[in-house]
Amino acid sequence: MISLDSVRELAPYQDQPAQLPAGANGKVGVLRLGFARRGDRTILADLYRQSPLLVQRALYWDEEMPDLPCVMVLTTSGGVLQGDRLRMDVDVGPGARAHVVTQSATKIQEMDANYGTQIQSFTLADDAYVEFLPEPVIPFRRSRFVSHTRVRLPRSATMLYAEVLQPGRKYYGDGEIFAYDLFSSELRAERPDGRGLFVEKFVVTPGRFPVARLGVMERFHVFGNVVLLTDPERAARVHERTAADPVWDEETPLATAVSRLPNDAGLIFKVLGRETEPVRAAVRAFCVVAREEATGCTFPPAFSWR
Amino acid sequence: MPTMDEALRLLQFGDSVFPVGAFSFSNGLEMAVQHGSVHDRATLQEYVRTVTRLAATGDGVALLAGHRAAAAGDLDRVRRADEAVHLRKINEEMRTMSVRMGRKLAEAATRIVGESLLRKRVGDTGAGVPVTYPVALGVLFAELGVGEEQAFAAHQYGAASMVLGAAIRLMRVDHLDAQSILFAVNEHVADDYQDARTATLDDMQGFAPHLDVLAGAHQHAHVRMFMS
Repeated sequence: MISLDSVRELAPYQDQPAQLPAGANGKVGVLRLGFARRGDRTILADLYRQSPLLVQRALYWDEEMPDLPCVMVLTTSGGVLQGDRLRMDVDVGPGARAHVVTQSATKIQEMDANYGTQIQSFTLADDAYVEFLPEPVIPFRRSRFVSHTRVRLPRSATMLYAEVLQPGRKYYGDGEIFAYDLFSSELRAERPDGRGLFVEKFVVTPGRFPVARLGVMERFHVFGNVVLLTDPERAARVHERTAADPVWDEETPLATAVSRLPNDAGLIFKVLGRETEPVRAAVRAFCVVAREEATGCTFPPAFSWR
Repeated sequence: MPTMDEALRLLQFGDSVFPVGAFSFSNGLEMAVQHGSVHDRATLQEYVRTVTRLAATGDGVALLAGHRAAAAGDLDRVRRADEAVHLRKINEEMRTMSVRMGRKLAEAATRIVGESLLRKRVGDTGAGVPVTYPVALGVLFAELGVGEEQAFAAHQYGAASMVLGAAIRLMRVDHLDAQSILFAVNEHVADDYQDARTATLDDMQGFAPHLDVLAGAHQHAHVRMFMS
């Protein structure tokens, strides 16, 4: 299994936890999901899981897309702990469609030794469509986390990927804002032949270079990042509907903007806010347009408890 | 210390008025001023420092890769560095800036210096990978015999002076304020080099959501003086 242990930013954190050693039995979460088209719907045809990651079964809760298997990823350990090594592989077959979410926010727990890592891989076949819309990520005080995500897809396929990054447990105790040690995230998209489409990598180390500053997070706390990988025609339609009116709202406050990715890979939508809800609403609004243009279907109303 | 020849080449090709069109970009400052995020000397300095830090952990790493590849005469490695930069320019305006300035630098260098690896690289863009500015600058300095530390310093200086040149035209700061900021920001260059020196192309990174939003919004602004 490929590991992230040797990435540069983890060099200062190679000590072992006082609890279970890093990567020990029970700390290596594995998830393999395979979606396949069967008749007029998609099924979860392959599922392998190893705790602390858990998936039970696909549900068909989306009233606008009744053919769409919805999979909720759970963790049995209440978040990412020091020494955790998580891996998720998602394979979406020709013409298959899937919706993958997480059960609750990804809480990257406080750490005093080592780190947590996550490797995600999405492989899409021709005309495949996948939405990966996890709940927000909350990096707690002194947490260290590295995530690598690779998406491999042909031109005819579409992936919608949205992440919301919180500053920490903002309303816990005296408030915990940008108190984590390391949050590193890389997203790489490529064609099936390995040709690169784009790479976005950030290594956030608030202790080394402040985050609450101009150009980085300015006055904002919550960061939403949406990537739509799709063919240029669909991307152009989404761009048409979303790009012309970037938001700079001093009241809420909220700031958003859309940009075209290199190599005709699709679009990237960035959102900044002070609180999570306005950011999530903006992310959701973009996702609605993306789904409508990519599939012809809209999103049902959000669940009132989410 | 660099020799006189090296120093002169550094001054010439690292000059903010060298005709690569740097004056037409503000690196997001135009939008930041319009929104009021940058409004005085202190906020301008903070903004410029963010820009140079990003230049160091992103393009600066590619500049060093380009410099080392050229020193080894390895055109493939130069192309890989260009590709790494281009894949990471997720903002249209930043991408345009990097590609346009890269092409202009390569053309100017060919005219001034003559036959070079940079010229060969321009000839081979058929492979679909455009020449990018930081890599072209690294290659050029290597071929001119200017060391990588000096090349890195020139690149950082260029990133700061681009924003400050725009600032003089966009807001109420005078030339002396701008030079004071440049002097202060330059004090970080040596430390930034220590970080960039050991990084590989895969380590190139930058976290700047605010700049990304400014860049994304700028391309739809109705009135603008700058191309970024």
